[in-house]
Amino acid sequence: MMKRLRQLASLRLTLVGMGLLGVGAALSYDNPVGTPVWVLVVPLALLSVNLFAAILSNPHINRRGGLLLFHVGLLLIVVLAAVGRLTRMEGRIELTEGSAFAVEDLTEVRQGPWHAGALDRVEFVQGPYTVDYTVGMARGPTRSKVMIPAGQGDWERRTVGDDTPLVLEGYRFYTTFNKGFAPILTWLPDHGAPVTGSVHMPPYPLFEHRQANRWTPAGADEIRVWLQIEAGMNPEADWRLDPANTPGVLVVRAAGDRRVELRPGESLRLDGGTLRYERLSSWMGYKLYYDPTLHWLFIASMIAIFGLAAHFWRKFGAVQAYAAAQEAAKNKPSDEMGGRAA
Amino acid sequence: MNEGAVITELPWLYAGLGAYALATFLSFKALARDGAAAATLSRTHEPFVLGLSAAGVLLLAVALAERWLRIGHGPFVNLFELLVSQLFSLGLVYTVVYWRLPVLRPTAVVVFPAIWILGVWVLLLDPAGAPYPPTYHNKWLWAHVGFGKFFLAFCLVGSGLAGIILLRGSRLLASLFRHMPADSILDTVAWRFMLLALVFDSLMLVAGAVWAQDAWGRYWAWDALETSAFLNWLLLGASIHARATYRISMRVTSILIVVIFVFAFLTYFGTPFYSEAAHKGVI
Repeated sequence: MMKRLRQLASLRLTLVGMGLLGVGAALSYDNPVGTPVWVLVVPLALLSVNLFAAILSNPHINRRGGLLLFHVGLLLIVVLAAVGRLTRMEGRIELTEGSAFAVEDLTEVRQGPWHAGALDRVEFVQGPYTVDYTVGMARGPTRSKVMIPAGQGDWERRTVGDDTPLVLEGYRFYTTFNKGFAPILTWLPDHGAPVTGSVHMPPYPLFEHRQANRWTPAGADEIRVWLQIEAGMNPEADWRLDPANTPGVLVVRAAGDRRVELRPGESLRLDGGTLRYERLSSWMGYKLYYDPTLHWLFIASMIAIFGLAAHFWRKFGAVQAYAAAQEAAKNKPSDEMGGRAA
Repeated sequence: MNEGAVITELPWLYAGLGAYALATFLSFKALARDGAAAATLSRTHEPFVLGLSAAGVLLLAVALAERWLRIGHGPFVNLFELLVSQLFSLGLVYTVVYWRLPVLRPTAVVVFPAIWILGVWVLLLDPAGAPYPPTYHNKWLWAHVGFGKFFLAFCLVGSGLAGIILLRGSRLLASLFRHMPADSILDTVAWRFMLLALVFDSLMLVAGAVWAQDAWGRYWAWDALETSAFLNWLLLGASIHARATYRISMRVTSILIVVIFVFAFLTYFGTPFYSEAAHKGVI
């Protein structure tokens, strides 16, 4: 048994594994999506087995506290990263100001087979946001306000954005550059109940000149709308995108291909009903990320580095002692230091 | 940024580079004298090299502070400011090593020329500022960049020692370094510095992962810079294992150290050619 373990713990096998991992990483260079995952998984699995065997059987590792911690930490990192891949969840969502998060609105969802989070317990309501821009349209800080239920009908207000995600039940919501305007429209059919909805215009200011979209209320024909907004965009100066304080005129294609401008509160008679432009709102795109191993990964990394540093500390003490001895010897005029080992 | 703004950091940068230039010149001049004269003469130049090196570090610190005041953010965005801060950090670590470990001082003839690659490069770049990305307002960025600078600096010291071993391989140059410890000692000390570099490389990767998770919602994505940094860490780890596994000549292990340093150098300063901003596409 121990002989088999020692074979698995071979340093030569370590080097083979590292070489394969290096090849896998090089293949993934700047193209992780187009590279098969096994080019990384196979060497990592090989190295994990090798590392586990070495921890159990190699006295150079398991009898030196620092090196033992380092290698245990490395093994934990690989195991936790694998668990993270199996339990993680990623996705994207666009939330209109005033609307609540709903799981069914998530898009581009990717989740591991063992994902078992409590996404259905996540509750928050999107508020308004602002984004600062500097000269040359360089994006500055994003401040997105959200409201979270605080019990007994109260709401806790938080501001998130950029490197400050909203974290609820372990799910992390990151603001993205994907955001824009959302006119709120009501369709009042000739027969039936009115329908209110929001139309998410293309991201702003990325598609500043293409603020157009279509809306098809239930039971009605498709309605084409354009948005004329005065957001104060100025590539030559600092400016702030503030949708809550941005006036917007909605242009609707009516019968005979004529275009009618609507201001908030105005209505337009169309075939089968009336379209009312309620107000101009906004939407914010979020990236969702969930990985229950994140904190454990950090702890494992710190264990590994602490172990390596402890090992180094013990080793470097010898170097300092040597340097001091060399210096003392060099100060003696009669000493010959040339090419001689200590 | 104002188009007509006065670049106030440039005089300090030139002065700092001037101090480094004098330190480099004196290191070579003293080495040449040592080669011909008795070993007892070898230390007369060292206080001047140490003083000039320290002065260069201080002047570059002032240049960085001036630039910070001028453009309103730290040296984290474009190549010009990354190079100035690297010149500062490499100089700082090497000056401390030069001061505290006198036996390693002849490595100056290898270390200073390596630093000068950055010194010449920075003179060719536009000192204009660049917008500060909102994801850079994060304390983990400081940790990430700071650990990276120590990593590269310790690689540089290791390379200085490895360079001495390699230069000693030449009959012409062997006598110049005869008063330094034996190759086996230099090799051991060089690998201790590389082990220290591995500690800081690991810290840099972890701090970078924490920052990336905050900034971009993922801790690792195999982007160009991340992959290069990981390959560098892997190469360093594999080299340490190879040295422990096989009987490798000191010449080969010295070449390995230099390769690791060059790889690290290319990771920091070569990737920007491939991708103009660090972590391009995710800022």
